[in-house]
Amino acid sequence: MSDKCSCEQPLVPTVVEVVDIKDETPDVKSFYCRLSEGGVPFNVAPGQCAMVSYLPVGEGMFSCTWQEEQEYLQFAIKKVGLLTDELHAIEVGQKLGVRGPYGNGFPVEECKGKDMLFIAGGIGLAPLRSFIKYCFKHREDYGKITIVYGSRSYADLCFKEELFNEWPAIKDTQVYVTIDNPEEGWDGHVGFVPAYVEEINPNPQGLIAVTCGPPIMIKFVLQSLEKMGYTDDQVITTLEMRMKCGIGKCGRCNIGSEYICLDGPVFTLAQLKQLPQEW
Amino acid sequence: MKILSKDKLESVLDKLSESAEVFVPLSRANSSGFYSWKNRNPEKERLMLDALNVYLSPKNVGFPQNEKMYSIIQSGPNAEIKETFEDSSPRIIFGLRACDARAIRCMDDVFLTRGYEDSFYKARRDNTVLIGNACYEPGPNCFCQGMGVDPVEPEVDIIIRDTGAQGYIWEAKTPKGEELTEGISSLLQEKELKAPELKAFPTQVDYSGVAEKLKGMFEHPIWEGLSSACQNCGICTYVCPSCHCFDIQVKTWGEEGYRFRCWDSCMYTEYTTEAGGGNPRSTTKERFRNRFLHKLEFFTERYGYPLCTGCGRCIVACPTGINIVNIINEVKEASVDV
Repeated sequence: MSDKCSCEQPLVPTVVEVVDIKDETPDVKSFYCRLSEGGVPFNVAPGQCAMVSYLPVGEGMFSCTWQEEQEYLQFAIKKVGLLTDELHAIEVGQKLGVRGPYGNGFPVEECKGKDMLFIAGGIGLAPLRSFIKYCFKHREDYGKITIVYGSRSYADLCFKEELFNEWPAIKDTQVYVTIDNPEEGWDGHVGFVPAYVEEINPNPQGLIAVTCGPPIMIKFVLQSLEKMGYTDDQVITTLEMRMKCGIGKCGRCNIGSEYICLDGPVFTLAQLKQLPQEW
Repeated sequence: MKILSKDKLESVLDKLSESAEVFVPLSRANSSGFYSWKNRNPEKERLMLDALNVYLSPKNVGFPQNEKMYSIIQSGPNAEIKETFEDSSPRIIFGLRACDARAIRCMDDVFLTRGYEDSFYKARRDNTVLIGNACYEPGPNCFCQGMGVDPVEPEVDIIIRDTGAQGYIWEAKTPKGEELTEGISSLLQEKELKAPELKAFPTQVDYSGVAEKLKGMFEHPIWEGLSSACQNCGICTYVCPSCHCFDIQVKTWGEEGYRFRCWDSCMYTEYTTEAGGGNPRSTTKERFRNRFLHKLEFFTERYGYPLCTGCGRCIVACPTGINIVNIINEVKEASVDV
């Protein structure tokens, strides 16, 4: 179902141009990329990833947070290291390399007809956003949509416009936002995501939960969902590890015999439980 | 049958070198490995077809330790990929043993299957002919048979069998091998010779059931003890003919540069350290466990046979005496709560 890189040279990037850059938070920027002649080098399904490359520095695997068909690829990138420092310093017009798409992506077809619960922390909203936006684009195919999202502070919340204005206005959609600590001017919920999910306590009946965030948050969310009566097949997460090739060959992103880049990054909790707890 | 007499061996290597780079086991600077026959130093270097395994495997021929992938130019906002460097020049690996031939099959499965063909590996592999040297006298650290490898039937294009003074039996096994044989047929003789009998392995290993048993041993206390001597030097991964992990790095000068890939090692912390500082395998025990589980369980689950070919090089090279045969035996003996 997912799109797959079918190129002759899977390790060689295609050059694209950055056509827009938006500040999401003090350390997250969204980059909109397309071919100089227009269009995108490849189609990306929700939850799939691509290697983004600042040619003289290096490559990193990023989830594609949205792809507007034939228009641009969008990545939301947090500034955490060598490559992302460089990416945060570029300006519109910069040429980058991209290769992909990689990974299995979210089971968007299998989830049709279900209520959806999206649980994200920090930059973990970036991969989920591709699925959330897909659901909104095909709104009639999905039931009730509940989004629970948290960050360290108000400033650290990504995609604020969608979060506070666009998404809550969509039919049958609830958006719950929390920040870790109280701060002046914030009258919303304060506390960590897993506890907030338990407080909201969405009924597991006919629902699929999808979660992404820092590994520690994912682990606690999985525990909370288990406590709330969700079965392992109802819970989906998307993982990341250090990657170099993106095509299951360079070795490092394995959990047991599965490679996150190739066999993941999306796993159900049932699948994860079959693997060593090493993520 | 076709026979290569020993006095014709050098002529055959010379002839083959006219149309391909021929890699042979050579002694070199107190060590040994697979090096170009044409570029050897005949004064100092000796052809080592009689040795079992040379220090370094022929891994480097198909999967170079450093390999230029493509060149780049970045000038301000402009960037371009200038040229890619797939190398399809013809090569022959002459005299590799069954363990090293199996390791190439491992590499073929990794680089050429599961949805993606690595174009750099493929260009070299498609243009490489393997001439395997059957083993009849296993050495003290050889255990290929225990890992499912047949020492007298290397998985290659042509097998040579050393019958002693009379020469090598020459058997083409594939169309690629037959084609190569035709080109040198005037240097081969027609004669009947008998291959020697395979002698017993001094080191016995029984891999049966190990992958299945390891599936339940991820959290087993055995890894603490087994890994305690490991210094994370990574030498086992470099001398291993089947370790295929790699890194992709970049070199630049001014506006130009190139991306290259180089061997990496799962024994190093940086291998899995993420940009944000996290590392799912931050301790020696975790890295050690992952390496041996990859060899003995994970690869078997994925491809149907282990990623260890029983060549014994890591046993010889490990400075602290870690021995994969002992690890297999300890795993077999370990008690596991059911």
